[in-house]
Amino acid sequence: MLNVFEIKSLNLYYHEKQALKNIDMIIHKHEVTAFIGPSGCGKSTLLRSFNRMNDLIDGCRMEGNIYYVGNDIYAKDFNVIDLRAIIGMVFQKANPFPMSIFDNVAYGPRCQGVKDKKILNNIVRQALEDSALYDEVKDRLREPAICLSGGQQQRLCIARAIAMSPEVLLMDEPTSALDPIATAKIEDLIAKLKEKYTIVIVTHNMQQAARISDKTAFFLLGELIEYNETEALFTHPKNPKTEDYITGRFG
Amino acid sequence: MLGISMISLVGVLILVLIFGFVFSKGAAVISWDFLWGDYHETVYDTYYDEGLDDTVFSRPEDLDDTIWFSSVWGVGFTDSVDEAGNAIILIVYVHQNSPLSSLLDKNEEGNFIAISNGQIVNKVIFGDNIILYGSDGAKRAAFLFDQATIIKDMITVTSGGGIRGSIITTFLLVIMTLALAVPFGVFTAVYMHEFAPKKSKIVKLLRRLIEMLSGMPSIIFGLMGAAVFIPFTSAITSADGGNLFSGALTMTAIVLPLIIAATEEALSVVPDDFRQASLALGANKTQTTFKVVLRSSIPGILTGTLLAVGRIIGESAALIYAIGTAIKDKIILTERSTSLAVHIWSVMSQEVPNFEMASAISIIILLVVLILSLLVKLIAKKFVIDPSLR
Repeated sequence: MLNVFEIKSLNLYYHEKQALKNIDMIIHKHEVTAFIGPSGCGKSTLLRSFNRMNDLIDGCRMEGNIYYVGNDIYAKDFNVIDLRAIIGMVFQKANPFPMSIFDNVAYGPRCQGVKDKKILNNIVRQALEDSALYDEVKDRLREPAICLSGGQQQRLCIARAIAMSPEVLLMDEPTSALDPIATAKIEDLIAKLKEKYTIVIVTHNMQQAARISDKTAFFLLGELIEYNETEALFTHPKNPKTEDYITGRFG
Repeated sequence: MLGISMISLVGVLILVLIFGFVFSKGAAVISWDFLWGDYHETVYDTYYDEGLDDTVFSRPEDLDDTIWFSSVWGVGFTDSVDEAGNAIILIVYVHQNSPLSSLLDKNEEGNFIAISNGQIVNKVIFGDNIILYGSDGAKRAAFLFDQATIIKDMITVTSGGGIRGSIITTFLLVIMTLALAVPFGVFTAVYMHEFAPKKSKIVKLLRRLIEMLSGMPSIIFGLMGAAVFIPFTSAITSADGGNLFSGALTMTAIVLPLIIAATEEALSVVPDDFRQASLALGANKTQTTFKVVLRSSIPGILTGTLLAVGRIIGESAALIYAIGTAIKDKIILTERSTSLAVHIWSVMSQEVPNFEMASAISIIILLVVLILSLLVKLIAKKFVIDPSLR
């Protein structure tokens, strides 16, 4: 099985405060990996270091290495723009741009210099179909994206990410602001997307992690406590802290 | 409670008084001729020596009863009074085939002049040295014209008192100023808000300076215009003294802080989510700034621009130096002229202040500013980008 990400003794600080402590882990291709843990445990921080979004935060400092298919993404000559183009990200709050549905999905390819209308049409259609949104919006592609419902907006953000045909999809609590029906739709979508993409998802919802992921990592206070096959982690947790968390004794 | 409401009542009363005064003085002056007419009177000195054929013009049926008609020359006169209250003869109708529509110019050989509605008859000398004076009245004018076959000399005057030149100057000034100030202001704000390091001391200093500039009396900008921009524009164009370019540069200095502040404000309410989403899609900083962030702040920038337009239209002190106070009918960019606000100043500083005209121009300015502020409100309502209000 191919390694997509290889994290080696990663330490991350916000100013003086240490957010991640000595993380070592490997993320495999075409699997769904879920990060769980209580708020402030560093799971989102780790996710954001995969596409170097932490660079944007003042006072964020990192030690150690992250390799993406063997390349050190924090190396000096590594092009972060190219990295973000092949690693898509979906945020906690749906954040469509204030433009039309079509322009939202076409945004990424356009920034890469795709101008041909036919190609753009195909990309947008494919991305919307892959994110199970096409049938709902095919008649109103020119309408503002803000008119969509919350769940539709989040699927639009997924469509926007996969329009770049990325290798990896990072999802930062994508369903935390959605109702159960919209959440179920996104979970179905993730199961489908798994065939094409490697997915890393941060979630607060342990049932969700159990339902959709192949592997689960449990974080606590910046440390990786346990990382295993999802089924094994939820049925036979090796670490007592994991057991406490998944049985709801704290969190 | 009562005291406060009494004070606010006095405030409202003062406003009502100002508006009432301006409207009662100026409303009667406003007409199409006022808005689009020449300010200066033009004197035409003409003659007609060919002799007439036998054409008889019939009096048009829709012509008012108070109009005296000459069927030989196809022209209608009416009695009127000028601003000083003297009786004048006003030409109110000229038939399209009338010989008066192609009279020869006394001052320029071979040049034709058409007598048209609204001109005032000053003096006419007919073939047998019979003279019609401007004070003789419309009835006598029609009578004498019907007797005559040639005109030795005819002097007519256009009425003047229009503000077309100042309207055009104001319009040009707005366009030229915005063409400079909007790009400069927007790019400065974008640099300060998006690209400069967050804790940059230079940016902080710049912001403080801009705040200071926006509170500075405009007459000081006018001095700067006179000291810097007039010599500068005179050096690179054929201008000599105040001109529209130096006016636009001075106004740019005045409205730049306004546009920078409005743009920064607009940029600061763009949710960070947009920037992150764009960067996460592999867009670079420039693409993110111009395709997403700036696009979302267009309503705010537009609002700032409209406020700037209001400021340009209302500015007088600075422009007295920078463009000058000479009221012109034909606008040349490198020459002196007046904006509407300075036009008010000019007509009020004549020997006999013209209150009516000043009030009429004030009404125009007030209306434009009112429309602008309504537009600002409309834009603010239509493009709310605060995500919490979606």
